[in-house]
Amino acid sequence: MSFSDLLNHYQSNPNIWDEMCSRGEVRNHYKVFFNSLSHVTPDELGRKDELAKKLFMTQGITFTVYSDGEGIEKIFPFDIIPRIITADEWKVIDLGIKQRIRALNIFLKDIYHEQFILNDNIIPAALIHSCPNFLREMVRVDVPYDIYTHISGIDLIRDSDGSFYVLEDNLRTPSGVSYMLENRNMTYRIFPGLMPKNNVRSVKDYPDLLLKNLMAIAGRQTSQPTVVLLTPGIYNSAYFEHTTLARLMGIELVEGRDLVVDNAKVYMKTTAGLKQVDVIYRRVDDDFIDPLVFNPNSFLGVSGLYYAYRKGNVAIVNAPGNGVADDKAVYPFVPQMIKYYLNEEPILKTVPTYALENPDHFAYVFEHIHKMVIKKTNESGGYGMLMGSAATTEQITTYKKEVEKNPRQFIAQPIISLSSVPCFINGAITPRHVDLRPFALYGPDGIEIVPGGLTRVALRESSLVVNSSQGGGSKDTWVLND
Amino acid sequence: MLSRVADAVFWMARYMERSDNMLRSMRTNYIASQDEIPDFSWQRWMDWLCTPAAQPQVPPTYRDALQHILLKKENDTSVLINIIRARENARSVQDYITKEVWQCINNYFHQIRSQETENLILFGDPVTAMDELLRESTLFYGTVDMTMSRGEGYTFLNIGKYMERLLRNLDIVELKINELESDGNEVIQWKYLLYALSGYEFHSKYYKNAMSTESVIDQVIMNTQFPHAILYCLLQVERYFLRLEGISVPEHFREIQFLLGKAISNLRYGNIPLADVHHVKEFIVHTRVEIKTLSSKLASLYFGYSN
Repeated sequence: MSFSDLLNHYQSNPNIWDEMCSRGEVRNHYKVFFNSLSHVTPDELGRKDELAKKLFMTQGITFTVYSDGEGIEKIFPFDIIPRIITADEWKVIDLGIKQRIRALNIFLKDIYHEQFILNDNIIPAALIHSCPNFLREMVRVDVPYDIYTHISGIDLIRDSDGSFYVLEDNLRTPSGVSYMLENRNMTYRIFPGLMPKNNVRSVKDYPDLLLKNLMAIAGRQTSQPTVVLLTPGIYNSAYFEHTTLARLMGIELVEGRDLVVDNAKVYMKTTAGLKQVDVIYRRVDDDFIDPLVFNPNSFLGVSGLYYAYRKGNVAIVNAPGNGVADDKAVYPFVPQMIKYYLNEEPILKTVPTYALENPDHFAYVFEHIHKMVIKKTNESGGYGMLMGSAATTEQITTYKKEVEKNPRQFIAQPIISLSSVPCFINGAITPRHVDLRPFALYGPDGIEIVPGGLTRVALRESSLVVNSSQGGGSKDTWVLND
Repeated sequence: MLSRVADAVFWMARYMERSDNMLRSMRTNYIASQDEIPDFSWQRWMDWLCTPAAQPQVPPTYRDALQHILLKKENDTSVLINIIRARENARSVQDYITKEVWQCINNYFHQIRSQETENLILFGDPVTAMDELLRESTLFYGTVDMTMSRGEGYTFLNIGKYMERLLRNLDIVELKINELESDGNEVIQWKYLLYALSGYEFHSKYYKNAMSTESVIDQVIMNTQFPHAILYCLLQVERYFLRLEGISVPEHFREIQFLLGKAISNLRYGNIPLADVHHVKEFIVHTRVEIKTLSSKLASLYFGYSN
């Protein structure tokens, strides 16, 4: 049996957008890839799959799941068949995300200063002031170059007609970019020669672009500002990513205990004494960065950091308080923000969202619960969510009670049936659902998006949940050149 | 560099050196127990290498002892635990050490946890298992040499490595003297000491004459050409430490420099009676105290520990 035979058995659901096939035919942009594999046998593919697993294991490319004892590090499951995006599709994504980030960034500046958007009644003020991630401490704080969303990871999905929807704007500390880079390194080991042949755009620039932006926002008059990456430490699930980024950028990876604030300046403790820090790319949540201002029990942050920040002596990336913009209850207002701030029509679609605070919405959602997914407004990682299509009556009743207690904390959306891509699973090529998270970098020179991103795969058959904490995997994402 | 990173690199090197040292000793012990010393006392080694609570109640067989000292997770001082700790330290400074060094330690970790290793120790040829592990260890040293930048991190790594080797060798020499005092068999005991320190060939080339207490002690303590000798290790620690002069707080540097100089002078000019094992033991105890003081000073002055 050869690869072509495997492909003949590929059965994609006609009601779902399949990235590779359209009415039984392989789409043009997948043809080069598949023709070059036509003589590969399933055994060979199996060996490539094994090779990938071995490479991930020896390189320690892992993520950590929260449990005690041994075996807390797991390999992020990797599927060897790349997901391919055409140049035209990418143009839409690129423009759409840039537009969205621009609007969201202005929104953050506005919401922490004059609040025009509330005064003009575009967004209800109550919605913002009831958002737990609206930081009063950020009000009237000026941030360097007015940039709040230095790094964002926008989750995109595709509906059955192939159009892109934004599912979430991750504007706080989005992760996954290291897997984008590592998956690419894996592909050229597994499929030698295929990337040049397909004319795939490179993603290697990411660390350089990020470092350039980080250096540019340093406040001190120096040509060599000290930039550090603040990690919660080796037990954090994204620790591998923190080390990878620090290494690729050549900056220090620090923990809270390495930093100290003196006279409103931040220093790190080195073998040669204290050294001033200019920019902190923090991978610690807002609530934990400074025990004197936020959560007093935090060991992950630095006492006095926020004071130094407000004084302008250190830059923090991303800015604190961004959570108000990626709150899931604020999400349905992003198209209005784009019109209000930019006077443009939104390029990317938004999933219809029902605020469960609204009694009409509440009733409607629970009437149509089997077509709905309910999410908590401030959770990520696929936690605390209810898929109406898969839940039992009992689960729904319990969840409903939970929602009634605090409806502001919940929103509902119709279930969108994510597009599918071919995956190599148990010796066969079968379709699985995916999303896409490209990473946008916002610096003083503007917004740049590396052509690529993290494609997350729901590895269980017909599952729609792609989160790594819920049994998701990933694959390399190829953006083709014109 | 960050104090925490310096500390982690230092300890990573110490755990790696400790593992290497333990493996070499155990390999030699195992061979000795199979051949020339049939009533080899594993208990003595267990007492030295294991915490009392973790020890099995019955007198150990050679396979028990090997498994316990090399692979037992419950034994806080086993080689497995050393490797886990070396890896944890490496993980916390993954961005600082090179990717190659990290992969080396990670491979070592997977190797020592493999079923294959355990099967060889329990049912097959333990020497093969230990050789495989020693190969990982040697790869680590080679990779450090080939890939790490010669900056501060490399300096602390080497200080850790030689300090650990120094402390381990003090222990092994003392243990051998104890074995000698209770079992006799001078030539055989010295021979296996030299095997364990990879110094047997060196001895026959350098000293030429038959093996004597004096020549062996001279080799393992005073010989500056033998890479496992106490004096050699101390001089290496000093050599690397002096590189820190430019970047150190001057008072801190001088304090450590003084302690190091004192320890080296004691060795060089202390007139140790090499043939008198009893005096050699006293000297060992004294040197160990000096090194431990040095180590805790280093921790407080360079690694940011509070006293």
